[in-house]
Parts: sequence; structure tokens; C-alpha cells
Amino acid sequence: MNLFRSEAHIDNWLGGRTPGATITVRRLCDLAHDWWGDRLDPEWQPHTREQNQAILDDLGLTGELWRLA
Amino acid sequence: MEQADVELRNATYSMFVELGRAPTAADVGNRLRLGRTDVVAGWRRLHDSHALVLNQHTDEIRMANPFSAVPTAYRVSAGGRSWYANCAWDAIGICAALHVDGMIESSCPDCGEAISLHVVDALPNDEALFFHCLVPASRWWDDIVFT
Repeated sequence: MNLFRSEAHIDNWLGGRTPGATITVRRLCDLAHDWWGDRLDPEWQPHTREQNQAILDDLGLTGELWRLA
Repeated sequence: MEQADVELRNATYSMFVELGRAPTAADVGNRLRLGRTDVVAGWRRLHDSHALVLNQHTDEIRMANPFSAVPTAYRVSAGGRSWYANCAWDAIGICAALHVDGMIESSCPDCGEAISLHVVDALPNDEALFFHCLVPASRWWDDIVFT
């Protein structure tokens, strides 16, 4: 799960391997804040798989790669 | 998850932030007045429920996601402190978890050129960058260190 300078750099890095999913860093920021934002809250409770899937779905990350189960 | 394990998990995370490194079982035991055996037993339950990741050989913390206990390619400076993150997602996640702006220092895995990303008000300062996730979500926990 890495950051790259451009999509061309991802293609070069993959070197023919099957690609996963590519998103913009802006979208990654949205994902990181929705996913990790409560991680240090004193009232933290574990997320269910359904809650985590909803975070992905709500951000439009709905392809097969983003299915948690 | 039992409430006692939630409290153990929360203390572990709090100390990770305070210390700038993973707390040892002794650190957390002193905080919660628990013996090392009880801390490690709780950590193993938290590991099994994916609430943190243990080094299976030493029973010490390997990941308290998004924080990494070991040096990685993602260094995060935020709120006057710094930590390592497990990946790019986690690096921004440290800023998110702390609710502060931050700077992520890394390098492009393809060309090696340095990447410095500032996250300000939950937004990136360089929108030309891209994130790639190679492993399908259904397999992230098959080998979370690789993921």
C-alpha cells in the first residue's frame, strides 16, 4: 500500500504483475480519515466488518478488490 | 471484545502515542497494574481479533495500526512528534487518528525519488500523487505485514 509519483510509476513498478486498485491521494486522505479517525478515541469500540465495508462503499470504493469478504 | 481488553488496547495505543514507540508489556503492565503474563495474554486476544498485531516470536507489539513498531518507508511527523506508519494509508491515518496536520516522508517505490506529503485540514498538499493497493481486501489479514 504505497504512494507513487504518478500512475506511470505504478505501471512501471508493477512490471507486468496484476494490478490492484489505484486511487488519488485526495481520496486516500478521505479514506484514511474515515477509517482511522476514531482510533485514539477514549470510547473506541472495534469496527465490525460491515462498518468497515460501509466506509469503503460510501467512498465509492466498490470494486471487487475492496470487498472485505 | 471484553471491556478489559478494550481498556488494555486503549492503554497500549495511548502509550504508543506518548512514547513515540511501541510500549513493552512491562510498560503497559505498570500503567494498568497488570503482570506481564496478563498483558501478553490480552494482547494475544487483541491480535486474534485484529485490534493490533504482535510479533509472534517475541509477543511484543509489531503494529498498533496505523502505527508501526519498526522503522518503515513511511515516517510521519505530527503535533511535534514522529512515528513510523505501516503504509501510505496508515501514514495519513496517523494524522487522522491524532486529529492534527502532519508531514509524511517517504519515497516512490518505483524511482526512489523522495516524497514529502503535507496533510493540512485533512487534505493533501500534493494532489499529483497516487496510491496503489495491490492485495485484495479479503486477503489483507492473510499476511498483514506484507499487505
